[in-house]
Amino acid sequence: MADAEGSGEDNSLANRAAEAVGGLVLEALETAKVGVAADRWAEALRIARDDLGLSFFSWLSAVHWANDPQVGDPLSAEVTERFELLCAVSDVTAGELVVFSTDLEATDPTVDSLIDVYPGADWHERECREMFGINFAGHPRPENLYLPNGFVGYPLLKSFPLLSREVKPWPGEVDVEDMPEVAGGG
Amino acid sequence: MTMAPDMVRHLSGAAVSVELETPDMTLNIGPQHPSTHGVLRLVAKVDGERAFDVQPVIGYMHRGYEKLAEVRNYPQITALINRIDWVSGYANEIPFMVAAERLMGVEPPDRAQFIRLILTEMARISSHLIFQASYPLELGAATPLFFALRDRERVLDLIESVTGGRFHPNFNRIGGVKPAVGAGPVTRKTIQDLPAGFLSETRDAMDRVLSTADELEDLVAGNEIVLARTKDIGVIPPEVALSYGVSGPILRASGVPFDLRRVSDYLPYHLFDFEIPTGENGDCWDRWWVRLEEIRQSASIIRQAVDAIPSGPLQAKVPRIIKVPAGEIYVRAENPKGEMGYYVVSDGGLGPYRLKIRSASFSNISILPWVLEGTLVPDIIAILGSLDFVLGDVDR
Repeated sequence: MADAEGSGEDNSLANRAAEAVGGLVLEALETAKVGVAADRWAEALRIARDDLGLSFFSWLSAVHWANDPQVGDPLSAEVTERFELLCAVSDVTAGELVVFSTDLEATDPTVDSLIDVYPGADWHERECREMFGINFAGHPRPENLYLPNGFVGYPLLKSFPLLSREVKPWPGEVDVEDMPEVAGGG
Repeated sequence: MTMAPDMVRHLSGAAVSVELETPDMTLNIGPQHPSTHGVLRLVAKVDGERAFDVQPVIGYMHRGYEKLAEVRNYPQITALINRIDWVSGYANEIPFMVAAERLMGVEPPDRAQFIRLILTEMARISSHLIFQASYPLELGAATPLFFALRDRERVLDLIESVTGGRFHPNFNRIGGVKPAVGAGPVTRKTIQDLPAGFLSETRDAMDRVLSTADELEDLVAGNEIVLARTKDIGVIPPEVALSYGVSGPILRASGVPFDLRRVSDYLPYHLFDFEIPTGENGDCWDRWWVRLEEIRQSASIIRQAVDAIPSGPLQAKVPRIIKVPAGEIYVRAENPKGEMGYYVVSDGGLGPYRLKIRSASFSNISILPWVLEGTLVPDIIAILGSLDFVLGDVDR
């Protein structure tokens, strides 16, 4: 429904946002995505809130770009190992949502906390810290949110094995039949 | 009358200890407390009857869906995401399906979209009826529970008659919907459709839901105890709600008329007339009222959709093996509890490279330390209940 029209609007939103925060428009389907430098992360979000009117904090999370994953299929092309930090903020009249993105180094990733801009980032950053090992400078309570204290490792890293799968192979595996080459009746 | 010397000494000692030493007490609520709707734990410092520095402790229900999704293929993930917010399991499936479909360039047929919309609104009614049942109960009024659960059962029966599941329908397919075995004529699979009589039963059920909403309003809205416990309690100003990412009925109770059904096109809501109820004060009472009014609006949407449902196929043409082209998309939907969204990063494989699940309750209860600061201890329960969260939706 209205895909073409929607993406046109989104692109102009992405352009506006990129211009305002001094970033680059990144490719995403029907989603305005803007890349900014890591050292301008908190400032870019502050501009987004104050100048672009994106006052609603939707979510913050990360993607671990890595080769040779322990879980899931490997990427189709080699990548430089890094973290991509994502933060989605939205306005509440037209529902314009922008996903801001910044790349962080694979070793000791650190970025400024957004708590002063969006207090709601608190739990999202704690989750991101314990799941990916990303440090948020200025976060007042960098404690585990989900995991027990003293947990070793960062579960959402691609290098972190899915332990239940290690102990017992995916039980569905044995039931899988080969799909027929030619599509039969439904 | 004179006191014995030792008694005087004892009393003066007590007075001294009261004046000089009032250590804060730490009050632990949950994780097995009925008012926490599951395994939420609150650690509050209390000074007399006032609570300070309330810290929610979550994670007792954390199942690691974001990690699990990386080893599942797209059709399998539906079974996982049903279980995020199990009170409205059906509604969880929609944004994920839409995300996968848009990446694939598939559009479900109109009839499938209408069925999705009807069932999503039924999920909203059932979720809000649970709230209408449990919230007065937490405030000490047991009667509304029976009215609300009776009609929730009717709605769940309707969902079950189409999908085969009451809580975890697992009903959507990429490109459409698949009615359960037994729904519709089963002699020929190709004409499986909504079960016979579904549309007329839905009309009846919506009439009953509307009259139950009136009954609930009669029962609760005039109750002085409920009013005293909820009016001006737990006020969340709109700017605070926004900065914490609080969404859904809680945000609208704070006076922000933001509803993704209006501004997003994940389902054809633009075809229907409905209002966005908003509160004025952002207190517990407004949150109760907004959810009651949303039941009425949902019933109205369902009645319009039932009257206008087009005929036609239920499934768009998709490959036998679902592969989603490389790309990224964020699709969000107005779930009963608020904004539910999925950020899908696909590398062209059978499953997503990364699936970020944005659930409503997680952000909604992250405001707890702010809103509970300085409240009276009994109000903690009233405020917790008014946020209407589900722990599966918090922990994912």
